[in-house]
Amino acid sequence: MIFSKSKKSKQKFIACTENNKKYEFNKPKELFIKQGKENLPVEIITDKQGFVFIIWKKKKYLVDIIDKNQNQYEILVNGVSYYISVESPFSYKRRKYLNKNKKESKVEQIHAPMPGKIIEFLVEENQIIKEGEPLLILEAMKMQNEITSTIQGKINKINFHPDDTVMKDDILIEVEK
Amino acid sequence: MKKIKSILIANRGEIAIRISESAKKMGIKTFGIKTSKEPSAYYLQFMDEIIDFTEITNDIPEFLDIDRIIYSIKEFNINAVHPGYGYLAENPYFAQKCIDEKIIFIGPSPDSIYKLGNKTIAKQLAKSHKVPLLEGSEGNLRDTKHAKQLAKKIGYPVILKAASGGGGRGMRIVEKEEDIEKMLRIAQNEAEKVFADRSMFMEKYVRNPRHIEFQILADHYGNIIHLGERECSIQRKHQKLIEESPSIALNDELRAKMGESAINIAKASKYRNAGTVEFLLDELGDFYFMEMNTRIQVEHPVTEMVTGLDLVEWQIRIAQEEKLDIKQEDVKLTGWAIECRINAEDVQSGFTPYLGTIEKINFAKGKNNRFDTGVTEGSNVTGSFDSMLAKLICYGDTREKAINNSLLALNKLQIQGIKTTIPFCKAVLNHPKFKKGDISTSFILKDMKQLYYQEQDEEMIAAFWAALNHNVELDIEDETYVDYEKGKEMTPWLINKRLKSL
Repeated sequence: MIFSKSKKSKQKFIACTENNKKYEFNKPKELFIKQGKENLPVEIITDKQGFVFIIWKKKKYLVDIIDKNQNQYEILVNGVSYYISVESPFSYKRRKYLNKNKKESKVEQIHAPMPGKIIEFLVEENQIIKEGEPLLILEAMKMQNEITSTIQGKINKINFHPDDTVMKDDILIEVEK
Repeated sequence: MKKIKSILIANRGEIAIRISESAKKMGIKTFGIKTSKEPSAYYLQFMDEIIDFTEITNDIPEFLDIDRIIYSIKEFNINAVHPGYGYLAENPYFAQKCIDEKIIFIGPSPDSIYKLGNKTIAKQLAKSHKVPLLEGSEGNLRDTKHAKQLAKKIGYPVILKAASGGGGRGMRIVEKEEDIEKMLRIAQNEAEKVFADRSMFMEKYVRNPRHIEFQILADHYGNIIHLGERECSIQRKHQKLIEESPSIALNDELRAKMGESAINIAKASKYRNAGTVEFLLDELGDFYFMEMNTRIQVEHPVTEMVTGLDLVEWQIRIAQEEKLDIKQEDVKLTGWAIECRINAEDVQSGFTPYLGTIEKINFAKGKNNRFDTGVTEGSNVTGSFDSMLAKLICYGDTREKAINNSLLALNKLQIQGIKTTIPFCKAVLNHPKFKKGDISTSFILKDMKQLYYQEQDEEMIAAFWAALNHNVELDIEDETYVDYEKGKEMTPWLINKRLKSL
């Protein structure tokens, strides 16, 4: 069954949110969303500018895929984003199994929340830090932003120097818990 | 009277377009500046003539390049320059240079800009004209030791501010003594970067205050009026996000009192042109002078909506030495106006700037709203400029109606390709405390549990849309699937056998 390409196996989808909440959809292409025991129809409309809306239960939602990587989607609904991973019943089981057996990583990374320039580091390697402690100053859009630690631990590694330009999500500092 | 026939708009984005509209209405020719950072910017479509700065390669940002701007004004024989807000709007050196070169600077005199721009001098002016002030360092801080002593005397929390600051830059709140040294250093560094001036002063920090500012108009002949207040308490890190006029916190008596103080500040500095006097208003109705902004402000449209005046037009008329013929008693505030700032920011991750391309933008124009935008379909949002893209200003007979009209308009404002502050604005306007008018500058921090508006089934709709798209994508993959096994059924056993034979 796993290796067969028959369409039957691809009719059930489990969409998982960031908080591991799951929504199951059977044959989504038939355009129904189940609520309780009832199947309620979904209407998809595209306006003349190309905006796509979903109408469900007489409510209109603006939808947009803002980012996608294989089965990982970032969807905007009325401007608010949701990270959704779409699984088949089989991959869902595997995901659950992997999550259960995942060892808690000891090293936590501090990412750049925005692109910008590093002004100064307020900590050194091997320093013990508390949660909420300021780590560095990052300048973006002419504002100096204090980046604080989300966890408690020891600074393992500092990956940049003052005056370096960083991109969004670059790993700035690694903290050992 | 000097008649202005042409204006160089030394700015970009929505304000450049806003200025061009008033100029056009008055039959004035507009010149815009094209930069290499956004050579196909939307505002350029609104200019009569475009001056090309794209080949300039120096470190000074185009709109701060005084020599080049002055040179262009002379080269094209332009009468006047409007700096908009930001950039050269509050630079006394630029205003003086314009006078020296016989160019009309649409704004106040260099002397007023200097005095009011330097907060220490501005406070001294206010004090000598009996305008209430907050306790603080009278003058700049000498060093860390001085700051520590003073903070102890005033009592924590205190606020550190850059003497040449504005817009929340070079500003830090200090809650306790052990933070003061670090905060002072951060604020000084920031001030040096942005304003090339490290000097700082200190003030007592008032908790839960409202930010109330008064719009002023003053001409060359000593006529000064105020156009009522704007409430700008919805701020994050001292950056305004939603503004309204009038304010629910003011009655006619308080409005008259604050308005008089605002006029006194303007008088004391021999002010002319449009300006804004900012106050903090506490829960008891006491108010304190904060600063005066010597320029047109981002949030000026709410005042225009309730007074029916065109502020940019008045700026130009005053600059060409026309007399201000509106009397204070003629100014009436009618109805209510609210402005929502639409910024390219990711509200869900701490308002971080969101860069990208605006694929589509749609706005339904109505008689109760105004959409001042600096972007259109295809516009790029880059890190070179401020994150504010547009402003949505809505009107209603009452505050409640203005809120409802804003929500209706926000629902019809669609932007695709980037994340914006639209869900944030909806969350504020739907908040019961905001609806009651129970707000302060710490509203976002203290009263908002969730910074973006969300409807009940949105997450499920997102899940469905992801599942449906994934389904469709897999089907397409199926259709293009090449069957190398020529119909042979693939089984785990077959795979195993192959792997062994490798």
